[in-house]
Order: sequence, then structure tokens, then C-alpha cells
Amino acid sequence: MLVSIRWLSRHIDLTGLSPEQICEDLTLSTAEVEGLEPFAPHLSDVRVGHVLERNAHPDADKLSVCHVDIGGEDALTIVCGAPNVSSGQKVAVAPIGTVLPGDFKIKKSKIRGVASQGMICSVRELELGEDHDGIWVLDENAEVGASVSQALGLEDFVIEIDNKSLTHRPDLWGHRGIAGELAAIYSRPLKPLNVELPDCGNGAAFPVQIDTSACSRYLALPIDGARAEPSPDWLRFLLLAVGQRPIDQIVDVSNFVMLDLGQPNHTFDRQKISSGVNVRMARDEERLFTLDGEERSLQASDLLICSGDEPIALAGIMGGQNSKVGEDTSALLLEVATFDPVIVRRTSARLALRTDSSARFEKSLDPTLPLKALGHFVQILRSFQPKIQFPGPLTDAGEWVDPAHRLTLRTERVHAALGKALDEQEMEDILRRLGFGVQSSATGFSVDVPSARSTKDITIERDLIEEIGRIHRYHNIPEQALRAEIAPPKPDLRRNMVRQIQDRLAGGARFREALSYSFVADESLERLGLLGEPYVQVVNPAAQGMDKVRRSVLPSLLPGLEANRRLREDIRLFEIGKGYHPEQANDRGEPLECHQVGLVWAGCPPDKSARFDASRFHQLQGVITDLLDHLQVESIQWRPSTAPPAWAHPAKTLEVYVEGQEEPLGLVTELDPGLCSKLGLSDDLRSDVAASELSIDALLGAPKFEGRYRPIPRFPGIKVDVAVALKEETPAAAVEAAIRESGKGLVADIELFDLYRGENLGESRKSLAYHVLLQSASKTLTEKDERKFLKRFEQAITQQGGELRNG
Amino acid sequence: MLDHDETLGQAREELEGCLDVEATRAVERRYLGKQGVVQGQLAEIPRLEPDARRAAGQAANRLKQDLQQAVQERIEALESADIAAQRAGTGFDATLPAPHSQRGGLHPITQVTRELEDLFRSMGYDVLDGPEVELDYYNFEALNIPGDHPARDSHDTFFCQGDGHLLMRTHTSPVQVRAMERFEPPMRIVVPGKCFRQETTDASHDHTFHQMEGLVIDRNVSVSHLIGAMKTLLRGIFGRDLDVRLRPGFFPFVEPGFELDARCPFCTDGCSVCKKTTWIELLPCGLVHPNVLRSGGLDPDEWGGFAFGLGLSRLVMLKHGIDDVRHLLGGDLRFLEQF
Ligand SMILES: [Zn+2]
Repeated sequence: MLVSIRWLSRHIDLTGLSPEQICEDLTLSTAEVEGLEPFAPHLSDVRVGHVLERNAHPDADKLSVCHVDIGGEDALTIVCGAPNVSSGQKVAVAPIGTVLPGDFKIKKSKIRGVASQGMICSVRELELGEDHDGIWVLDENAEVGASVSQALGLEDFVIEIDNKSLTHRPDLWGHRGIAGELAAIYSRPLKPLNVELPDCGNGAAFPVQIDTSACSRYLALPIDGARAEPSPDWLRFLLLAVGQRPIDQIVDVSNFVMLDLGQPNHTFDRQKISSGVNVRMARDEERLFTLDGEERSLQASDLLICSGDEPIALAGIMGGQNSKVGEDTSALLLEVATFDPVIVRRTSARLALRTDSSARFEKSLDPTLPLKALGHFVQILRSFQPKIQFPGPLTDAGEWVDPAHRLTLRTERVHAALGKALDEQEMEDILRRLGFGVQSSATGFSVDVPSARSTKDITIERDLIEEIGRIHRYHNIPEQALRAEIAPPKPDLRRNMVRQIQDRLAGGARFREALSYSFVADESLERLGLLGEPYVQVVNPAAQGMDKVRRSVLPSLLPGLEANRRLREDIRLFEIGKGYHPEQANDRGEPLECHQVGLVWAGCPPDKSARFDASRFHQLQGVITDLLDHLQVESIQWRPSTAPPAWAHPAKTLEVYVEGQEEPLGLVTELDPGLCSKLGLSDDLRSDVAASELSIDALLGAPKFEGRYRPIPRFPGIKVDVAVALKEETPAAAVEAAIRESGKGLVADIELFDLYRGENLGESRKSLAYHVLLQSASKTLTEKDERKFLKRFEQAITQQGGELRNG
Repeated sequence: MLDHDETLGQAREELEGCLDVEATRAVERRYLGKQGVVQGQLAEIPRLEPDARRAAGQAANRLKQDLQQAVQERIEALESADIAAQRAGTGFDATLPAPHSQRGGLHPITQVTRELEDLFRSMGYDVLDGPEVELDYYNFEALNIPGDHPARDSHDTFFCQGDGHLLMRTHTSPVQVRAMERFEPPMRIVVPGKCFRQETTDASHDHTFHQMEGLVIDRNVSVSHLIGAMKTLLRGIFGRDLDVRLRPGFFPFVEPGFELDARCPFCTDGCSVCKKTTWIELLPCGLVHPNVLRSGGLDPDEWGGFAFGLGLSRLVMLKHGIDDVRHLLGGDLRFLEQF
């Protein structure tokens, strides 16, 4: 909301207070000030000039050459194109060097051969109105040479207050409310406001019928003889300062009253609503052209002002075209009412029609305010147009209750909540300055809350404590340490595990942690083959096709690979995050939440000479194995996945699980071979991509081994290398089993170090080579033990159709 | 018989010509090996007159010893020359770059979150977690923001499809009532996590961001305690005492509600971070509203508390001078690698 300091000065004497000081004090006691700007700062460079002489331009019919005194030694010669300029006028002159709105700099120039030393301005050029028929003719008493803003008393500053910080304060949506805050802050009185009602004629009262509880009060006052003339400058400039476009006296006074007291109001052309006002809820499918020219389709939840049965306004939001006040209107009906905040809010939200009026009604306005606002309106309009008449009495319809109420405020509670023992006298003083009625009681005070603060804002004792605290100023409250017994914190298993995972992956495995958005683009899901899954979806996504909340972490990581691959040969990323499964919702409708770690490792495919296990799939499996070992997960096993995700390689997907448990901990896979090019990882970005997902929930539940010391072997072991050639389909696990079997308990370690396929082995055969460590806890092994082992192993391998290739 | 001096001299000459150990060993074999010169001389001894044999044997042995010594000297000379050459470091370029070593690392939000979690845990707070897809009840209703409250507008909520009860949480505050339902007071908790606002994104706004909620429930908790706790928190974050000020702020779930500003840690007389005000708006906070305590099943006459919300994303940006919030969740390695 924009607040003009000059406007505030109509309500309170601000002498001696700088705009900056006022902003600071409002911020510390009332609401957040977001900005402070001078109003029309260019007006301080524009001077009041006196047109001494006006002559026709020698070479141009429509131009004139003026001699204008702006208080300097010599009068300026200015070429002017406006038809209304004439000698003797006081005008606004922008001398050379002045910068006008739109970054328009006045320069020395020759116009059709005559040098012009400035510009005589129109209101439009000064952004003070629309009128561009001619120059702005100033008051004849304006002091020549003074700045226009000074001469006309237009110096003003505009404060911008954050609307959010006024959500709970319907009383602050007008200048008088803000002035009231300053009155409390500075202990200065508010100036009286003339809201006297006019004497009305003896005509019939204007009929108003209210058929709904959504309108608690409706004031209607007929006014005759009003004219839609331009408003005087003081009103125009105040409206301009707060960003309102001046229109004519009727519209301007209506806006002024709203911005002054916070009470919206509306004027109808009474000729167009001769059958009386009826306030009712709309019927479905009913339609109304609102003042902005839009046809609105209504619902039974909308509140209407009707003439007879015909809608003429959307209550509290916007008037209708059919009852609009026009230039020739002279018979007005002034409406000042109280409408239900929820109904106004819902309708304005549904129609996306937020107006200054709806913003105020939805905050719950004081039902006693309309009468003051109506008086205010009448007093101001009559000051411009003394001849307006009030043919009939004021209609005051509706059933409303004054919300003013009384609260008990216990001194002890103020102390307890603020943590400072305030003086009772100060409490009482603060409350009185804020307009509360205060009587002492045994425990503290009995406080009368005025109606303006009663609709929503001040409802409980704690609200009064806030009033005292904010005017006392919170920074005057000393700090105090919390005191409580503190037990050592309980171990936080989940967070500990998350940290262990993060540290292991970022440390040893040298992965980078990423954090991603929870929304995944349809386009990405489509590519990953995941679009058909059930998702939590938002109805108002940030962008089209971004409405789905991820089920797992990897779909967030995969689409970004291409951009990173353009810059890096090797990418290792992981993310710890959540996914949601709506099909597994609980009885409160909350979707199942899954905590996951997702990893991707992508980069240039390894070249032919690389070791057999250089592929990222193998490497990632190694990372996961190491991680699970680090987390001390017991008895890890791997098995091919029977149901790999759509984006995973259908054959090369391994699930990792705890021996004997059905539910896997996670998986390691290569990307589906068809997916790489869809993700942009083809041609020069051709990549070897491995990915893994682990469930943190499952890891937390998995059995853990205890890290125990094992004695260092006392007897040296023997390292034996074995290489076997066998059929392609024989799994490595069978060879490992044969090694262990043949070692008769002496095999302490096995490491596969080569996997080889070649012509010399024959079709569909491969060679596997292992380092084997034989070791005994009770003796030093000899060559004899080695020979026995090799003999048994050769037999076992031969049975499987393989052959030992050693030496 | 070979002349001792001549043979030795010849061998020395050959050894001089050897530039490495291998060549030296070849010379050694030629003189001292099984087929070597000395061996040949020894083989001749039995054929000599018996009284000449002794002298010949001695001569052969002397030759052998002298040759062995010559070889040894040559090898030692070669080795020390080699070490000297290595010491000279010929070909060493002190300006060669160290090989590139790819490093892993934690996301800056994780780093800041950890620092804060550790700080709070040291002060007796528990760290809790809450769902990102949240019930309207916990996000609004239970926090004293009923269905048609105008404060809902400013939350720019992403609503989920369905019967309207699910949404993307707009703050971490829903965990307040969840925690009160789960634990007995007194309690001190913090809750880091992701939040969502349906708003236009720019360099300082993103629709997804990270926050940390704090909640203290106890008997006799006052504004004064809140100020003390916030100052301690800021001391932990910035490593020094910062002047703070509380000013009114409206949040329906606290009463009174505050915005806490801290003296700009980056300047003394106004800079771009504090928009020339010397204050930075750091965290909204306040005393827990009695209605919120009731939602959590607590009696507001017995229990009180305070709550605060720290913008983790904002803190990370402040700490590292990051100019665009969208980098945080953008996944660009050029960003992630800097932390
Ligand atoms: Zn600063």
C-alpha cells in the first residue's frame, strides 16, 4: 500500500519528523516499510514562470515565441506549440538541463530558426495527468522562480508498506489508520475529521432490501445535482502520489474516501437503478458486465447488488457497466456497505479480479465505518460542489452488531510473555494512545477494544500484549538465556546414516552432491518411460508439464547429464531426497514418502585396452559395495533384477539385498541402451552411464554387523594365481565357489584380476584369472599345500568343462 | 702366462669405456667368468712345472683380486655418477601442473544445514523431518490459518490434485503441530527441509527453497528468551555477536510475531546485500499462538513457546555471495564443484 506523507498530514501534525524517521518508526512498531520515494521529484527542477510576452513564430503558424520570467536576470525565450499559452500566465517551465519523466532531457535547441531556452510544460509531460490539450496554467499567485513543487505545496514523499504485514489490520488500509499509529507512536493527537451527515430532503428513502446474511450493513444515499468535473489540484496530486489516476470529482472523492478511511464505496447512476437496490446471492449462470468491460459468469456463491432483480454490481469487488456513472449523470446513489469478507475473497479469487475494494473487504471491515465514510464523502463532495442536494433520507439497512468488546489484560501475563516487567502506567498509556478504553482491575486492566480493531485483529489477551510490546519496542526488551535441563541428545539414526552416506560418497568415492527440484518435467518422464506411473500432481504448476512430484530421486538427476557432459569427461553425482507414491496413501490421504539416495556416474566409454571392470557399471557396484560395508550392512548379496525400472538396462540391473530378505536395498544398473541418445548422450557425448538407487528406509532397517577386530595372521600365507578357460555361460560365481571348495578352508581372499576373450580360447569361451590367498591360522603353508589346492581346483574346473591355464 | 699389469691395464681400459653397470658386468664376465681370462690362466696351472705352479697360482689370484677390485671401483663410480645425475634433476620442470584430481563434495545447503544442526543439537534441540507433500491441516489449519484467511494468499501454494487436502508445504512450520502431537513437552526442535511457493522465479526467488524451522515449547517462555536464543543462533552462524532488532511481523501462527533483522555482517554503512539499510532481514519468529498450542493438544495456560524460520537458501547465498538462487537446485557441476 502506498501512503503519502502530505496526505497523512491532513490527519496528524508531523512537524519535525523526517520521512525517514517516520518510516523507521512505522517499521519498528507497526508494519514493514518497503520503500520511500519522493513524489514527482522532477517538479523540484521545474520553475514557475511568468509569460511576459507571447509573439507569433516568424516561420510557423502554430508555434509561438514567449518571453518568460523565471526569476533569473534575463527572461528566457521559449518556443511553445500549445494553443492556450498567453501573456500574463503563470506556467511550469523546464529550463535547459531539466530531466523530465521518461528520461527526457531538456536541451538547448533551435526550433524553425528560433533558439528555445527551455520548455513550457503540460501536465502530461510532468506525469501529473492525461490532459495534453495545452500547457499547464498555474495559479496566478504562484511565486515566480520558485520550484513548482514548492510554489504549489506539492512536496511529498510516498511510503510503500508491505501489504502482507497489514493482512490482520483492516484499520490500516487507509491514511487515517496509519496516522492513528503515528499518533500512538509519537503521542500526538489526531486532527478531528468532519463526517457530519447532511440535512436531507423529505423525499422517499431509497428502498434497499437485503436477502442474505453476507451483507450486514448497506447505506444508500441519493445525491442530486452532482457534476463530473475535474477535481482540484490538491486532491488530484494526493491521488497521483499514491498511484491513483484522477478522473473526475465523483470518482476521485469515492477513491479518496476509500484511501483515507479504508472503507470502499460505490456510486451508481440512480437513473439506471430506479427500481431500488436488492442485495442477494447470485444464481448459477447469471452474468454481469463489470466496469472493466469483462463479462463475468457468476455462481451462487457470489454476492450481487441488483436493481430489482437485475445485477448492477459485484458486491465489494466492482460495479457493473449498466449502472455506471457517466459524464451526464447528475442523480447519484452512494453505496457504503459492509460485506462478508470470505464471500468477497472467494469471488475475487475465483474471477482473478483483485481490486482495491476487495482487498479491503476481505480483511473484515468495521461495520461502524460506513456511516463515517458516507459523511466524509458528502462533506468533501459538497466542498467542491456546494449545490448538490440530498432529496431523501439516508437508508441504513442490514443487521449488524458492533464488534467492540472488552478483554481482560493481566499484568502478570504481560510480564510473562514479554519477559520484562513493564510499568503499569506505561501499559495503560500505550493502550490509550492506540485508542483502547482502559480501566484498572484487580489483576491488571479491563480493556475496551474499539470496533475498528475488533473484527478480527484483537480477540485475545495475547493480542493486547502484542500492542504493548510493539509500541514499547521489542528492542527495549533485554535478552535472557533459556534455562532448562538438557540431556544428551538421543542419537538420530536417520540423520547419522544420511551423513555417513554423504561423507562416504563425497569423500572416498569422490561424488558431488546435488539437490534437485521435486517436480520432474513430463518431457523427462516420457523419455525415461515413467510418464505412466502414478504421481502426486499439483493443479497450478510453475510451468506447463511441470506438475508431477517425483517418485524417486534418479529422474531428477538423469535429464541434467547432457549439460554437464558437455563440460566434463566424467560426472559423478548423488542426491539424497524424497519421492512420493500416491497409490500407497495412508488413511489420512498422505502419499507414501520414500527417502532415497540416487547416484549417476557417466562419462566417456572406457577404451578397448581398459581392464575388464573399467565400465562405470562395475565401478559403481564397487562404490555401493564399499558404501554398504561402511554402513556395516550385514550379508550383502546381489541378484539380477526381475523388474528393473523402465530407464534401466533390462539385463544389466542388479539388486542388492540382505541375504534371506525379499525386499532389496536398492539396485545398480546401466542406462537402457536406447535411452542414452534420448538424453542427448550420443555422438561426441556418447557415454557409459551407470546409476544406482538405494532406499534409506531399507538401509535403516537392515541388520548391521559390528566392526570387530580380527587378529592379524601369525603365519605367512601363499599367493597363488589361477587362470581358467571355460564356457561363456559359466558364471564367475561358480569359479569362485570352486576356488573356495578346493582350498578346504584355507582360502583367505580371492580377487578376479582378468577377464579375457580371444581367438586362442575358441568360440564362446572366456578366461578368468584370480589372485588367491591361502592362509592357515595354525601353521605356515608349504608348496605341498599349494599343489594339493591346485590339483583339487583343476578337477573341479574340469568337471565344469573348463581347463586350468596355469603354466 | 699373461702379464699381470698388461692384462689389468687392458681390463681397466675396457672398464673405462663401460657407461653402465650392464656393460661393466660383461667385461667382468670376460675376465672373471667361467670362460674368462683368469679362469683360462688357472686352467693352465696344472700343466706347469710343479715348482712354477705356486707362483702362477699366486699370480692368477692376484690378477683375479685386482680385476675384481677394478670392476667394483668402476661399478661404484658408475653408481655415484648415476645418483649425481639424478640429483641434478635434469629435465625436471618445476612449473608442470599437478595432475587433476576429481574431488567429491557436499552441496552448500547440506554444509550449512549440518553446521546449524550441530549448533542446535549442542543446545539440546532435536532435529526432525517432515513431509514435503503436506496436509492442508498441518500447513494452514493447525497453524491458525483457516480456510478463507487472507494470509493464505501470500503463501502462493502449489495445491495437489484430489480432494484439496494435499499441498506442497509452503514452509517448514507444519512440523510444529506434528511434533507437538508426537512428543511430550518440553521440547526443542529444528526441522530443515524443502519448501515450495508458486511464484515467478528470478535471481532471488525460486519456487523451491530450503528452510529450517525451530520450535521451543516450555513453561514460562517469553519474548526475552526468544531474543536470547536468536542472538545465540546468529553468533553460531556468523561467528560473532551481531546486533539484532525485532520488529512486528504478521504470521498467524505466532502472537506476537516478529521479523528479526541483524546488523549487516558485510558492511558498516550500507551495501548491496543490505540494500543500504545496514540491516538484513534474517528470520521471522514469534511466540507460538495459543491456537497452535491447542492444535497440538497443549494447554496454552500451562505451556508456551517460540518458533522461528531460517531461510537456508538465503543463508547459503549470503555466506557465499551467490547472485542467483536458481543455481542452488540447478545441478550444474560448475556450481557444485565450487563447494
Ligand atoms: Zn550491508
